[in-house]
Amino acid sequence: MRTRFLLVIFAIVCSIQPAIADIILPDVNAKYVSINQENPTRDVGFVVGDVLDRTITLTIKKPYELVKESLPIEGYEHRYRGQISGIELVKMSTEETTHSDGATYVLHLRYQIFTTGKLAKPAALRAEIIKLRNTSNTEVVQYRIPSYSFRISPLSVFGSVKLKEEMSPFIKPLRLDATQDRLQLGISIGLLSTALLGLLYIFGVRAWLPRMGAPFAKAYRDIRKIPDTDEGLQKAVARLHTSLNKTAGSILFSNNLDDFLQRKPAYTPLKQEIEKFFMLSSQVFFEPTTASHVGESPKVWLQIFCRQLRDCERGLIPNIKSKVSH
Amino acid sequence: MSDTQLADWRNHALTLESEVNKVVVGQKNPVRLITTSIFARGHVLLEGDVGVGKTTLLRAFTRGIGGGYQRIEGTIDLMPNDLVYHTYLGEDGKPHVSAGPLLMSGENLSVFFFNEINRARPQVHSLLLRVMAERTLTAFNKEHYFPHMLVFADRNQVEKEETFDIPSAARDRFMMEIPIAVPSDAAIMESLVFDTRYHDVDALVGNVPEDLLQFDQLNSFSATLQNSITASPTLRSYVLNLWRATKTPTEFGVKVSGVDMNRLVLSGASPRGMGMVLRAARVNAWLNNRTAVLPEDIHEVFHSTVAHRLVFSPVYEMRRTEIAREMLSGIINTIATP
Repeated sequence: MRTRFLLVIFAIVCSIQPAIADIILPDVNAKYVSINQENPTRDVGFVVGDVLDRTITLTIKKPYELVKESLPIEGYEHRYRGQISGIELVKMSTEETTHSDGATYVLHLRYQIFTTGKLAKPAALRAEIIKLRNTSNTEVVQYRIPSYSFRISPLSVFGSVKLKEEMSPFIKPLRLDATQDRLQLGISIGLLSTALLGLLYIFGVRAWLPRMGAPFAKAYRDIRKIPDTDEGLQKAVARLHTSLNKTAGSILFSNNLDDFLQRKPAYTPLKQEIEKFFMLSSQVFFEPTTASHVGESPKVWLQIFCRQLRDCERGLIPNIKSKVSH
Repeated sequence: MSDTQLADWRNHALTLESEVNKVVVGQKNPVRLITTSIFARGHVLLEGDVGVGKTTLLRAFTRGIGGGYQRIEGTIDLMPNDLVYHTYLGEDGKPHVSAGPLLMSGENLSVFFFNEINRARPQVHSLLLRVMAERTLTAFNKEHYFPHMLVFADRNQVEKEETFDIPSAARDRFMMEIPIAVPSDAAIMESLVFDTRYHDVDALVGNVPEDLLQFDQLNSFSATLQNSITASPTLRSYVLNLWRATKTPTEFGVKVSGVDMNRLVLSGASPRGMGMVLRAARVNAWLNNRTAVLPEDIHEVFHSTVAHRLVFSPVYEMRRTEIAREMLSGIINTIATP
């Protein structure tokens, strides 16, 4: 009988032991503690594995001081109504600054989410309760750091979702997938650009810039590359003949020069120079014993002459006295 | 022959040209071409309407050249022997034979003018062919030579009644066919009509100084001239292309409006014809005080030396003058020199 009584007493004592451990302390007077929180910038869209940083700055005035043993413990599994919440404090660090009238504690708390669900669900960084000790007596009080609420989203959506029912002011507007359209647009713009460039090239008489491919512009580029030798001079004169013929639309000789100038009056200022060119051509190809009419360096003269023709071709007034640039 | 002598002869030639131009006005180009043919020693076929001054032109030249000048009129009943001799009854009542126009001047014959050659029969053309080509004639059991002779003939292309077309072989003997047209300048036209100076042809021709040239030295001088004027490889290549183009104009992209070019040309210029082009071009270069032939020299003589040698399909023969002109102009405008 006595034994049974002792067992009953023991059972009662064992059952009330947690209650003794969870003794609720009185809250500190608010005038002794001030708090500043830095919480995550958003409160939605977190999924399993995400890390949330929270910084709490507490200023505790004398005669109270922080009981450091009451600070949260890393790795502590938080439970809510007996269930593991799935949000774990993975790291904590503290900075302490003392003042004449108290101390400031900065708590850096890092939580990680280890839970998920089929649908978005509410969650919270728990309200941490710390203890303060009155240094003038043995009184111990508590201070409750407010919790921070947020929502945990599933990694993927299971089953059909009715968007209208799931609409939330926290969800950004959904955008249509435009990848294919962007790709098609890019290809179309590319094709259009290529076609336009092709047209530009074709309408520009196979040249990228207006009149770049005109006879004398081409001849000027070619003649500059031809060496200043007897053979080169023949090539240069022949090259210029080709351009003159192309511009005239038929073979141009000194005896039909006037007809050419009547049809292409832009070249009239160069009449004397063209006549000199025909004399040079005669000397180079037909009558080498005659004297030169273009000075000591026919190649240089040809370059200048070709540039003057190019100016006429471009609708400019040729600089008759121009010198060639090397 | 020195350059000085070449220059002296050129001065003589230009003087002759100048004197003839005073007598026959508005024909500078034909005058230049006839001067060219005289120094190139080529026969000339004049083509033009009646009364445009062809005979006056030739008489003026003949006077300047010197030597014998003979003339015959082409008629439908003209026979070859009419050129060689004619028979008549003399005052003594006996038949006599005297030399015809070809033989009358002997070796001094310098110009033989055949007026309206296309009215003569083909037999006459045939005789003339030999005389023009070989400058010899066999008559009275004797070979007669005409080393200085040039044949100037004319024909009227418009009138076709009682005419015989000159065969291509005969045409090819002529170095040039020169068109003589009525001058288009109003002042010249007026003076030709109202200036009495032009009404008396004999007096007009008499204004040309005699013997400006020495006809019996023309052959040797011409040979020297031909050797003095050079033709560069570029020019030779150009002339060969021109020649090819007269044979196959389509290969060179030459077109004539309203003509099927594939059917047009039966025969282009002959080798003799192209040789004459070069002879004439050399003379033209010399007249222009050059020592080498230029493409422009070829152009000056190209039409007159080539056009009459072309043989066209019969369907185009009626339009040969305009077709030949357009085709040859097309060739010159298509073929580049260097």
